[in-house]
Amino acid sequence: MVSQEIEIAGLNKSFGQGAAAFQALRDIDLTIASGEFFTLLGPSGCGKTTLLRIIAGFEQPSAGTLRINGRDVTGLGPNKRPVNTVFQSYALFPHMSLADNIGFGLKMQGKPRAEIRATVAEMLQLVRMEAMADRRPSEISGGQQQRVALARALAPRPRVLLLDEPLSALDLKLRKEMQSELKRLQSETGITFVFVTHDQEEALTMSDRIAVMSAGHILQLGAPQEIYNTPVNRFVADFIGDTNFLKLRVKAVEGGAAVLELPGGKTAQASLPEGMAPTTGALVTAVIRPEQAEAAAPGTGDLQATVESATFFGTDTHLHLTLADAQGFVLRRQNRPGQPAPAPQSRLGLALAPGALRVLKD
Amino acid sequence: MRGHGWKWLLCTPALIVLLLAASGPLLIVAVYSFLSPGNMGGVVWEFSTEGWFRVFFRRDIFEPDLVEWNAAHLQVFWRSIWLSLQTTFICAVLGFPTAWFIATRPPHTRTIWLFLITIPFWTNLLIRTFAIQEMIRNNGTINTVLMQLGLIDSPIQMMFTEFAVLLGMAYVFLPLMVLPLYAAMEKMDFRLVEAGYDLYASRLNVLWHVILPQVKPGFIAGSILVFIPAIGAYVTPRLLGGGRTMMLGNLIALQFGQGRNWPLGAALAMLMLVVVVGALILYLRVVGGNDEARRG
Ligand SMILES: Nc1ncnc2c1ncn2[C@@H]1O[C@H](COP(=O)(O)OP(=O)(O)O)[C@@H](O)[C@H]1O
Ligand SMILES: [Mg+2]
Repeated sequence: MVSQEIEIAGLNKSFGQGAAAFQALRDIDLTIASGEFFTLLGPSGCGKTTLLRIIAGFEQPSAGTLRINGRDVTGLGPNKRPVNTVFQSYALFPHMSLADNIGFGLKMQGKPRAEIRATVAEMLQLVRMEAMADRRPSEISGGQQQRVALARALAPRPRVLLLDEPLSALDLKLRKEMQSELKRLQSETGITFVFVTHDQEEALTMSDRIAVMSAGHILQLGAPQEIYNTPVNRFVADFIGDTNFLKLRVKAVEGGAAVLELPGGKTAQASLPEGMAPTTGALVTAVIRPEQAEAAAPGTGDLQATVESATFFGTDTHLHLTLADAQGFVLRRQNRPGQPAPAPQSRLGLALAPGALRVLKD
Repeated sequence: MRGHGWKWLLCTPALIVLLLAASGPLLIVAVYSFLSPGNMGGVVWEFSTEGWFRVFFRRDIFEPDLVEWNAAHLQVFWRSIWLSLQTTFICAVLGFPTAWFIATRPPHTRTIWLFLITIPFWTNLLIRTFAIQEMIRNNGTINTVLMQLGLIDSPIQMMFTEFAVLLGMAYVFLPLMVLPLYAAMEKMDFRLVEAGYDLYASRLNVLWHVILPQVKPGFIAGSILVFIPAIGAYVTPRLLGGGRTMMLGNLIALQFGQGRNWPLGAALAMLMLVVVVGALILYLRVVGGNDEARRG
């Protein structure tokens, strides 16, 4: 059995009192396994930082329990928890050298000097900053500060590392570099990572599991594939990746699937979410990812569409289409040499991948 | 460049005032310290190092060649430095929690607290000092209350002691410590405090290793702002310390007044200047240069 590193049950957090109270977290239930790369994903203001700060011990929950490694840590200060944070702003101590920054946690734990020196050297090597041990934080670049902040948080060998949007201040290239660096560090150290981001792509590429949050709730919890392929509601489908939302009429319901009437008269099978049984003739929302349809010759395929515009993205091109009933549809087509983008107002057919169409709860 | 030259004009009025009000008199004092005293005060234009000599030494009245250390002067120097250091220390110890309190209030209420801190500046120093006198006199407020409560039988002698001078100076100079400390704390990154706690530091360790290094510039500025006026304090030691706890400022005033020895007073004033500038340089070297020294 995988041991549970963090167990959160019935956790609520309100700021302020009385009428001015604001509930930042609502009924959070969550377990994070030991050694997992766990991501909290959601738009700004949804409560990610608040949850992280509660795990770190900077905030106390209004209700609910929090256990770390089986121990109830409610009421324990941040300095008494086997948890370290990589702050979004890095929060390196400006008056200390990088080596002193990295050694700070160990020094506060009362570790012997020789051990501190050895661990600091090891950490500097781990984040590839050996040559800069004696510099000040102000004398290195943002990306380097990020690495030192990581090393500082890893040095005391915490059970859990909390990372609050650690890469959001970096430019794209550096961010990609740090993403793989983080994955490497996590597998090398085996420490449980709780990673916060509002970047869905970052979440999908890095995580073992993702919790999608909105307005203080966890909407969906699962592996990246699961969240991408079977979003539980419109919010998740919209937030993770690009999605086409189609309003379609139900023609028949057979078991766990519905037969939907497509614009242009053809029909298609769509899976139904658990517990949803629409009546025949009802309008439902169906979703399909832009890459899960293929262009076909006009008159063939499941749908007929008119090209409005094309946007070039390097690896692929997004075709903005209009369907027969004027609903919009985005098609993602991989670019191949010698394949021109279709001209505006040209017509094409669309073939939907089998099983790609899904009915969503609104 | 013409544009540049023109901007210089903007600060000429201030420069002229500084020149007339500070440099001019300073020059006069420096010159006077090398002249001879007039009988009724003032100076006689006759070169003499007697003023400087008498800063540290005294001559026997009947046998001028018999020279000894001027113990009374040395005692005043020592008392001035020691009381000023203590005042600075007390202001730092009291000022830190005060500034911390203000800096951790919600932003819109900080202005109110700062405003309250500056209220004492609104009242004349003399009046404030008389108010302290009223509190600590033998039949003043504190002694009366303590006697009424039966805690003491006879009044505690507080007036005309070094304690009274310290109390008065700490009270007068405290805002000068609080304001720069507050300015440093306001600029402080409070996330560093969280980072400290996160890395297993206790409260005391966070204070020592994270907060103090960051508010050090405030401490340096505050210490300078308190120490310098403290060492030249005149009103407070005069009213609360009396004749027995004289400080440098009082000694200088005495030479220009009853003492009728202007060159000695001028030499004492110059000495004070030298001491203050020297102390300042030393202090900045030791405290301010720490960072560089540590890096080797
Ligand atoms: N100390 C606080 N006092 C009042 N409201 C707060 C406090 N901290 C966060 N909030 C509110 O809680 C909500 C969630 O904030 P946060 O956890 O920082 O979101 P996220 O990190 O997902 O962007 C926000 O609406 C924010 O305004
Ligand atoms: Mg946040």
